[in-house]
Amino acid sequence: MSRVLPYVGFLALMVVAYVLLAAGKPIAVAGLFLVSGFAVGSLYALGGIGLVVLYRATGVLNLALGAMGALGVMVAWQLQQVGVPQWITWIAALAVAIALSLFYGRYIAPLLAWRDPVVKAVATLGFALIVLGVTAFAWEDDVRKFALPTDALAVRILGLRVTITRMIVIGAAFALVAGIWLYLERTRTGLQMRALANNRDISAMIGVRILRVESIAWIIAGAIAGFIGLMFGDLVRLEPVVITFMVIPSVAAAICGRLDNLGLVLIGGLSMGVVESLLTLSPLLKSVRPVAPYLIAAVVLLLMQRNTRLLFAKD
Amino acid sequence: MGRILTTLAVSAAALAAPHFARAESHGGAPMCGANTGEAASGEPIKVGGIFGNAAPGDFSSATDSAKAYFDCVNANGGIGGRPIEYLTENDQWNPELAAQAATKLIEDENVVAMVGNGSFVEMSVNAPRYAEAGMMAMASACAVSECFESSNIVSTNQGPLPSSVGAAMYAVEELGATNVACIGLAIPSVGNWSCGAVEEYMGSKGLSGSSVLLNPAAPDVNSGLLEAISNGADSILVNLPAGLGIAFLGVAQEQDLGEAYSWTSSTPLYDLSVPGALGEYWDGKLYVSAELTKLDGEGADNLNWKAVMDGYAAEDDPRDTFSQSGYLSAKFFVETLMEMDPATLDDRAAVTEAIKGITGKTSDLICGTYYVGDADRHMPNHAGIMVVVKDGGFEQVRDCFEYEGPYFEPLIETEKALGLR
Repeated sequence: MSRVLPYVGFLALMVVAYVLLAAGKPIAVAGLFLVSGFAVGSLYALGGIGLVVLYRATGVLNLALGAMGALGVMVAWQLQQVGVPQWITWIAALAVAIALSLFYGRYIAPLLAWRDPVVKAVATLGFALIVLGVTAFAWEDDVRKFALPTDALAVRILGLRVTITRMIVIGAAFALVAGIWLYLERTRTGLQMRALANNRDISAMIGVRILRVESIAWIIAGAIAGFIGLMFGDLVRLEPVVITFMVIPSVAAAICGRLDNLGLVLIGGLSMGVVESLLTLSPLLKSVRPVAPYLIAAVVLLLMQRNTRLLFAKD
Repeated sequence: MGRILTTLAVSAAALAAPHFARAESHGGAPMCGANTGEAASGEPIKVGGIFGNAAPGDFSSATDSAKAYFDCVNANGGIGGRPIEYLTENDQWNPELAAQAATKLIEDENVVAMVGNGSFVEMSVNAPRYAEAGMMAMASACAVSECFESSNIVSTNQGPLPSSVGAAMYAVEELGATNVACIGLAIPSVGNWSCGAVEEYMGSKGLSGSSVLLNPAAPDVNSGLLEAISNGADSILVNLPAGLGIAFLGVAQEQDLGEAYSWTSSTPLYDLSVPGALGEYWDGKLYVSAELTKLDGEGADNLNWKAVMDGYAAEDDPRDTFSQSGYLSAKFFVETLMEMDPATLDDRAAVTEAIKGITGKTSDLICGTYYVGDADRHMPNHAGIMVVVKDGGFEQVRDCFEYEGPYFEPLIETEKALGLR
């Protein structure tokens, strides 16, 4: 029962927000905001899942996730400008993000392996700023747009036109939750990753090949970062700074799952998007709309940490 | 149409034509200052400029074009044989750096004036500083209210307020709008200020207006669009930086709202790379208010701006509205210095007095008359043109027209007092 309770809590949050903010509005209007909230929430959830996957496998909260994705999508855009076929540019975006992630995981992360989780997280923030600096140097501020062929196809849900690209994001979020859960729970490498994240010393003593297992985790994280970059570049906008700092609401979504439970990250991210969108309907509260994800994360921290381990405790 | 200032623009072009006819006879070579063809060699006259260039935006094109014009002047006799030493600083959108830049230029370098300034930050921080120092800033890329509502700053560009009101006027008069939703930035002195003036304009016409303010880094522009719709708008005015504006129009396209509403924008979307980024969907649907005249205009000053940029600027320096504006500020500044007593060119107070004395300057780059005067606010440029996104570029749909609304009434009184009306 206690495992289900948080899910019920997030669902209740969405219902309460709908009742309080959308009550009395025509369903055609309220439905638009609801679906729009799910669309944005799926972006938060996707980012949060990317963070939690690596955190569970390596104990590193990778704040450079957005920066890696941003450089990837900028490379993809650049290649498209010189006529490279789109599918190759998408692979290039994933390859760039994987290369950056693997570089950090192979050469920098091991140097900090014995430090507190907070130090590890802050180090990735430094890496994010370096990657962002390189990206901003390579691509000066200019008007750009990155589009995917799936943008042209759409279905109507409660009156709102939802493109296939947005549905891919929502589908990918669910697929990642299921796929990563299966990988971590049912495969030998997944088991080793969990062992590493829990206790690096003992994992080494029992024969886990630390660098190999961690490298696999960083490659998976890089691929997710590259995918996130492509999606954010299309659905948010092609601005490296914006994509880089999308990691902040993504952290809030990750906190909803206590950096551990991918299912809760998903529903937490979705509820953040829904509440944020529905706040638009309140003349009084619409100006504080951007604060919603962080407020929800703060409440989650207060409620879910009681009598349990600290979120950023040393392993 | 009474509001249309075509006559002003035409007379400006007519006045300038004989002067610049010589430029054409020189095979399109730029005309700058005394245009002697000889390099200036005397003691330099120090002039400053502050721009903002860091993620997420680059406002340096005005100082780039001002530098190009000053370099051209220096290669053509300077100011009575003396070159202009143009010292620029980047505030990197950081208020602390903006204040340091002003202190360095005002106190350490002892510049006589600022020219070509362009920033979201610098003017808000330094407006009182310029007044204390008794110095004028002839800015070119202003976006915040302090830039237009200060005694010692005057800009050739319009900023978001007049440009947005112009777009709203076009929506009302030509597109039949009765309820305009202005989508602005949730930055103090920017979005609420400019969209507030749109609401006032709509109110003055007995129509409805509303503001929807977006966080600059907000990933969720969809809810802004939905808010505009739920406000009952029949026309949407995009008053956002180009990147965010394109994202906003992207979600509108996603909802296929191009035909359901009329669409206008303030000047940031008047950039030659915008139509390509927007795609065919917006062809003929998006009307943009341009605060200076067309980038591909055939007026003498516009041609000279291009020639100066080709001759003295870097190849990758932008050729955009801010670049036109920087050129124009530098040109008016040089003309003012050339009319001064050469013995007082290093005297900041004398230069300030000369700048405040500017009146009745015209150019084919602007619709109205440029003036400064001794006032607590300056917004000489409050007339513009309208263009529509068409065939991968822009097509002019309305000639020069002056903006209306309660905000402009004190400015019009000032212009009457100066004898400009």
